[in-house]
Amino acid sequence: MNRLRPLFITIALLFFAGWLGFVAYSYLELGRLAPQVESDGSLPPLQSGSAIRGAKVYAAEGCMTCHSQQVRQPSVTSSDIDRNWGKRPSVARDYLRDQVAFLGTSRIGPDLSNVGVRFTDPAWYYRHLYESTTVVPGSNMPAYRYLFKMQKIEGQPSEEAVSLTGPHAPKEGYEVVPTEEAKDLVAYLLSRKQDYTLPEVPPVPEK
Amino acid sequence: MSHESSLSQVQAATNFSEPAPLHATTRAEIDASLRFPVLLFFRTALFWLLFGSILCTMTSLKLVVPCFLDGINFLSYGRLLPVALDALLYGWAIPAGLGISLWMVARLCGRPLRCSKLLVAATFFWNTGVFLGSLGVLCGYGTSIPWLEYPNWASVPLFIAFLLMGVWIVLLFSARQPRSIYITQWYFLLGLCAFPWLYATANMFLTWGSIQASAQGPIIAWYSANIFGLFLIPLALGIIYYLIPKITGAPIYSYYLAVLGFFSLLLLAGWSGMTLFLGGPIPVWMVSASVVATMLMMIPVAAVILNYAKMLQGQVAALKESPALRFIAFGIIAYLVATLLNLAFAIPTWNGILHFTHYSNGIIILTLLGAVSMVFFAGIYYIAPRLFGFSWLCSCSIRCHFWLAVVGLSLMVVSMTLGGLLEGLALDDAAITWVNVLSFAAPWRWLNVIAWILLLLSYVSFVRLFGNMLFHATHPDQKVSACSFNSLASVS
Repeated sequence: MNRLRPLFITIALLFFAGWLGFVAYSYLELGRLAPQVESDGSLPPLQSGSAIRGAKVYAAEGCMTCHSQQVRQPSVTSSDIDRNWGKRPSVARDYLRDQVAFLGTSRIGPDLSNVGVRFTDPAWYYRHLYESTTVVPGSNMPAYRYLFKMQKIEGQPSEEAVSLTGPHAPKEGYEVVPTEEAKDLVAYLLSRKQDYTLPEVPPVPEK
Repeated sequence: MSHESSLSQVQAATNFSEPAPLHATTRAEIDASLRFPVLLFFRTALFWLLFGSILCTMTSLKLVVPCFLDGINFLSYGRLLPVALDALLYGWAIPAGLGISLWMVARLCGRPLRCSKLLVAATFFWNTGVFLGSLGVLCGYGTSIPWLEYPNWASVPLFIAFLLMGVWIVLLFSARQPRSIYITQWYFLLGLCAFPWLYATANMFLTWGSIQASAQGPIIAWYSANIFGLFLIPLALGIIYYLIPKITGAPIYSYYLAVLGFFSLLLLAGWSGMTLFLGGPIPVWMVSASVVATMLMMIPVAAVILNYAKMLQGQVAALKESPALRFIAFGIIAYLVATLLNLAFAIPTWNGILHFTHYSNGIIILTLLGAVSMVFFAGIYYIAPRLFGFSWLCSCSIRCHFWLAVVGLSLMVVSMTLGGLLEGLALDDAAITWVNVLSFAAPWRWLNVIAWILLLLSYVSFVRLFGNMLFHATHPDQKVSACSFNSLASVS
C-alpha cells in the first residue's frame, strides 16, 4: 500500500478546514456585503475618481507600512477612540468602496481611518507631505518632495503653490506645486472618513 | 522494560523509523546529481539574504534619522521596507529551504535527481520573479498588501517556478527506494503542499483583485500567518528531525511525541493568525478561534521541543564540534521564544497595548531570521561540504557568523519587545501626544539599528566563507583564505 496517500489526504483535509473557515467564509459572507441604502444616497459614500487614483499612490509609496486604517473595538482598547482617531470602531463594511483595504499592521505614525475628518484643508496635507515638520514639529515622517515640482513663477503665482517658509521655502522667483499624484493622494486622504453610522455598529457613548 | 517493544510497535504502526543508511556509491551518485542545482539555490538565496539585510539596516536607520537618503523616490522608507522583507522571505528563506529539502528528500528516498535542467530553469524563473517584483515595488508598482507587495504580474513566474520545483520533489517521493516515510518527509510534504495553496489563494483574492475590500482582512492575516506556520516552520522542523540524529547518532526520543507534534501543528496552525487584526474590522468569531488556536499551539511546540531537547541531552561535545548543531540549538530556542511572544500577543487585553508597536514586527523577524533561518544555515553547513567534497575552510568565519547572529538577534528581540511594550503603554495613554510616543520609542529603535548592523556583519561573514568555498571548488590548487584549513572533518 502506498502510505503516502493517507498522509497526503490528512494534510489536505486539515488544511482545507482552515481555508474553508477563514478564506471561503470571508469570500462568501464579507465579500457580498452591500452598501447601506439611505434616502440621500448609500453608505459608505462613493469615492471620487481622484481619490481612487490616490489609493494607488498610497499603495505605491507604502504608506501602509507606518499608518493603519482601523479603529479598534473599545472592548480591546479605548485608546483609539480616546486619541480621537474615530468616534466608533471600524467594521468590514467601511472598506466596501476601497479597492484594497489598507488595514495596516504597525503604527509608526497615527491611524488614518478618519484623517479626512480631523484635517479638511488640502494645503495642510501638501505642507505635511512636502516637509512634515513644518506642520507637526518633531514628526519623523519622510519628506515626499518627489510628489511636488519646483517651477519658475511666470506672471501670477499658482493658486496651488504650497506655502512654505524658513529653510524649506523655494528660491526667490520659484514656487512648489503638487503633481497630479500628490493631488490624487490628498483627495484619497480627504476621503478617509468613517463619520456615518451603520446598523451593525452602535455609536460609542461619550465619556 | 517494555519501552523498546512499544517503540517498535509505534514504528510499525506509523512506519517512519529512521531510514537505513545508504550505500556509499548511492550517496555519491545522489550528491553528484544534486551538486549544481542545490548549490545554485544556495547561491541565489545568499545573494538575496545580503540584499535584504542591507535594505533592512537602511530602513532601521531611516526610522531614527528620517533625513537619511531622504526625498529619493525609490529609496523612501515605504518602498524599501517591503522590498527588504520580501527579499528575505521570497529571495532567501524559500529557496534556501527548498534547496535543503530537495537534498534531504533525495537522500531519504535514496534516489538521484533526474532532469536537473528543469530545476535550474525553475531557479531562474523564481529569481526572475523576485527581481522583477522588487524592481516593481521600488519603481512604485507595489500593492501594499503584507507579504504580497510585489506587483501581481511578478507572482506568475514565482508560482510557475514553485510548481516546477515542487513537481521534482514529488517525483522523488513517488520513486523512493525505502518504502518507509520518515518524519522529516511528513513535514516537507506539509510545507510543499501548503505553499502553492497559500500563494495561489492569496494572489487570486488579493493581488489580482477579485474580492471586495471588506473581505480582505481575514485573507491577509491567514496568508501572513500560514506562510510561516504551515510552510517555513514545518520545513525547519523537518530539517531538525533529519540533522540531529545524523550528527549525534541519537535516535528520535519519542515517536508518540513526533506524531502528536506533527498533527497538532497541522490542525492548529491554520486557525491561528487572526490575532493580527484583534479588535479590528473582521468577524469576532474568527479572532476568538485564533486566540484559542494560538494558545493551543503550545501543544505542538512543546511536543517537538521536548523531543529535540531529549535528543540533544548530553551532547555537549557534539554541540562544541558541529556548527550545524549549534545553529539548530539556537533555532529551537528562537522558536520557543517566538511562540511565547505570540501567546502573549494573543491575550486580548495585552494585545490592546502591544498591537501596532514594534512588538509584532519583532515576532516576525525572530521567526524568519531566528527559528527558520538559523535552521536553514545549519542545513547549509551540513550539506555544502558534501556537495563540494571538502569541509568548511575556516572555523573562525563560522564562529563569527554564529555569535554575531546570536547577539544581533537577541538584541533585536529585546529592543523590539521591550521597546514595543513601552511604546504600547505610551500609546495606550491618550494624554501622551503622538510626538512624545516617538521619543519613548527612539532609544529602542537605535538599539534596533545596532542589532541590524551586527546581523549584517554576521551574514557577510557567512557569504564570504561560502564564496571562498565556491572559489576553492573551481580553483583547488590555489590557497583561498588567510585562515588555515581547519579540522572540521568531524562535522561532515
